[in-house]
Amino acid sequence: MTRPPVRACALAALAFGALLAVALASARGVEAQTPSTPSPAPTAAPPRIPTDAEALAVEHQLLCPLCVNERLDICTLAICNDMKQIVRARLAQGASTEEIIAYFEERYGPHIRAEVPRRGFNLVLFGWVGGALAFTAAAAAVVLTSMRRATLSRARGFSGAPSEDPALDTLIETAEREEFGAPSNGRAGDGGGR
Amino acid sequence: MDVTATLGAAALVTALAASVLATLASTVGHLRRQRALLAAGRRGIDAVAALTTVAVAALLYALVTNDFAIAHVSSVSSRNMQTAMKWASLYSGQPGSLLFWTWTLSLFLAAFTRITVPRIPWAAPHAVATAGVILAAFLAGLVFLASPFRLNEVPPLDGRGLNPLLVDPGMLIHPPFLLAGLVSTAVPFTLGTAALLSGRLDGAWVRHARGWALASFLVLSIGNLLGAWWAYTVLGWGGYWGWDPVENSAILPLLPMTAFLHTLLVQERRGMLKTWNLVLVLAAFALAVFGTFNVRSGLVASVHSFAQSEVGAYFLALLAITIVVSVALIVWRVPRLHAEADLDALASRETALILNSYLFVAIALVILGGTLFPVLSELVRDVRVTVGPPFFNAVIAPLLVLLLVLIAAGTVLPWRGGSSRQHARRLRVPALVFAATAALVGALGMHEPLALAATSAAATIGYVTAREVAVGARGLRAARAVSWPAALLGLLERDPRRYGGFLVHLGVAIIAVAVVGSMGYQQQTRARIAPGESFEAGGYTFRYVDLVARRPGVNGIEVEGLTIIDVERDGRRVATLRPGRRFFSNFPEQPIAIVAVDSDLRRDVYLFVQGWDAQKRAEIQVFINPLVAWLWIGGGVYTLGGLLAFGAVGRREPVRALDAAPGAASAGGPA
Repeated sequence: MTRPPVRACALAALAFGALLAVALASARGVEAQTPSTPSPAPTAAPPRIPTDAEALAVEHQLLCPLCVNERLDICTLAICNDMKQIVRARLAQGASTEEIIAYFEERYGPHIRAEVPRRGFNLVLFGWVGGALAFTAAAAAVVLTSMRRATLSRARGFSGAPSEDPALDTLIETAEREEFGAPSNGRAGDGGGR
Repeated sequence: MDVTATLGAAALVTALAASVLATLASTVGHLRRQRALLAAGRRGIDAVAALTTVAVAALLYALVTNDFAIAHVSSVSSRNMQTAMKWASLYSGQPGSLLFWTWTLSLFLAAFTRITVPRIPWAAPHAVATAGVILAAFLAGLVFLASPFRLNEVPPLDGRGLNPLLVDPGMLIHPPFLLAGLVSTAVPFTLGTAALLSGRLDGAWVRHARGWALASFLVLSIGNLLGAWWAYTVLGWGGYWGWDPVENSAILPLLPMTAFLHTLLVQERRGMLKTWNLVLVLAAFALAVFGTFNVRSGLVASVHSFAQSEVGAYFLALLAITIVVSVALIVWRVPRLHAEADLDALASRETALILNSYLFVAIALVILGGTLFPVLSELVRDVRVTVGPPFFNAVIAPLLVLLLVLIAAGTVLPWRGGSSRQHARRLRVPALVFAATAALVGALGMHEPLALAATSAAATIGYVTAREVAVGARGLRAARAVSWPAALLGLLERDPRRYGGFLVHLGVAIIAVAVVGSMGYQQQTRARIAPGESFEAGGYTFRYVDLVARRPGVNGIEVEGLTIIDVERDGRRVATLRPGRRFFSNFPEQPIAIVAVDSDLRRDVYLFVQGWDAQKRAEIQVFINPLVAWLWIGGGVYTLGGLLAFGAVGRREPVRALDAAPGAASAGGPA
């Protein structure tokens, strides 16, 4: 194998990385939006009856302390019905969503949080995610680089083999020529690089 | 003495002996070049399949005849269970599911031994020996640790009955598909291992593995789709995928298997990615074993993990051995795993396929990490945390969007690349479709970037797939002067794998749109009302008519409470739904929801009752879930595509296999 065209490969790796970064950045966007409904109740407001939507928004961020992975709003256990009452009472007193979650966390433990907090030991999880993505992106870049053949100068023509049937390949090739115009240098069916 | 139990247990012990003999006979036969021993090895695998079938039949017979002397029967069945539901009892609970798993495994491996092993003389003994070892490992667990034929010291008069969550017709098909899907990863694994052991590492094993990999992919996919459907219609939380540890375990092996189905094309055509393909099939099986261990051991407790067990440590050991042996085999053979060709161009189908497979692996690693992190947290800090949908949705969704973009790009980019002018021509219209879709749905009110990107990518997949098919059909039409429908059928007949694959992509695009709609635009309302009252939600009026009781008298159901609710829109009745709750005599603490859904192509009206008081005042939850019907339609298209792709299996060796002349296509000339 000849010297890999480092620039092209670096570009490819960069592009892949950039895509991942954009994807991850927008993921944060989703997350910021997910608690779709209300902002925490105004702290100094007089006692009032919280709406169902407000209560649901808090319940979505809590889990049943006894079941596993069961959202509070769905769970029908007695303990969860009590928790729902407490959510409403606290909302009526003007508590914020985070205060209510913290209250339950103190009572039952961190596993009642629907979302893993991004702090402390939990950062290991996020480190794993970042590491896994970086590792696979890097591995893909390295693999592509090492496989990349240097003969870039030779312009290539049509696809190698669209299908598994030579006759069909020819037909597709003809149709593709009509669709996308003539290749610059004929088809690259010579199996070069072996 | 219980005759049925003795027969079943004896069949399992004999099957274990047969599997060990199959391995020994194959190994000795190979070393001493004795054909008779090799044949005996193959027969051994047949014998295992026959004997485990006897064991399954014995257990089924015990279930049907209410033989409560057998502990498994009394723990998962009862006298008033319908006979059909007893099929679900067969694979519920620890020993039952392990027996079902091992039985399916033996059927797959016996089919493999009959169909594929005779065609791979260069690795036949290695394949049979590997199959024997896998079977022996699971049979040993079944015989020594979790026998389904253990007897009760004092047979009870009646059994406990099936777990309430499983008393549902969906349970008759979902677990068999899922278990069979997990098990089916063993066949590509066996082929890969046999190739490594024998040292013949060219494209041959891949050619023989592709049909099995496709089967595995398809069965696993159907299992997961059925699981989503079951979760949606039974669990009553308004969704179909909850990133539960068991769901994660079920989808994990599918990811490397799907990646393998794509990268095997690269190995077949270009002789590249040999090591990578081996890694993928070995990983798929390791993840299937992990899934079994995860579910069986109750390691990561979850709604599914009702099976708490003594076999946890055993499966952990099996998993460790699988991983260590796989890695060792690959490291041993690395010198023989060099590529036969180099990459011609970065902007090529190969690149898209390689990136796609790495993306699948990235997704698998992230899901694996999220699934195991609670265990780590508990081990290290003794703190229980929950890693659930908020985490997975945030992390996986962008990766899935990237996957959709790669599907579209991979469909457009030609093998081995081409000139940049050509790329521009090929990419121009798809890019326009992407931008136009984004603009359109943006104007319609979708502003979340990921949702926009997913929808646009899905539309682009639709377009590029249609274009590829149209171009092919036009070529065929021009050459044969046939009608359009005939040309389309002709394409499918000539290359089922390519066009079936396109259909799978289309199914994925449809599913993506359904997921965006149902997850991003779900509305949830809750109301506490008495009979005669009504409430509004999502533009519908829900009138609570009455609460009624029903006593089916079967399957351990004590009583069902059903609320009758008229759904109206603009004063016109849309549907009458009957959501409720089902109570079980033997599981008083575990009532389950009866979900009621009115579905059309635009939305599902999904009702779920949380409970009621003595005055029949009920708490009712309403979900308006947009586009959920398209999830099942997309699933159907996906499945159909997978089935059609089977047309390529066994009919013909791939024309452009490694050993075929690469220039063959040009020689054909236009007809």
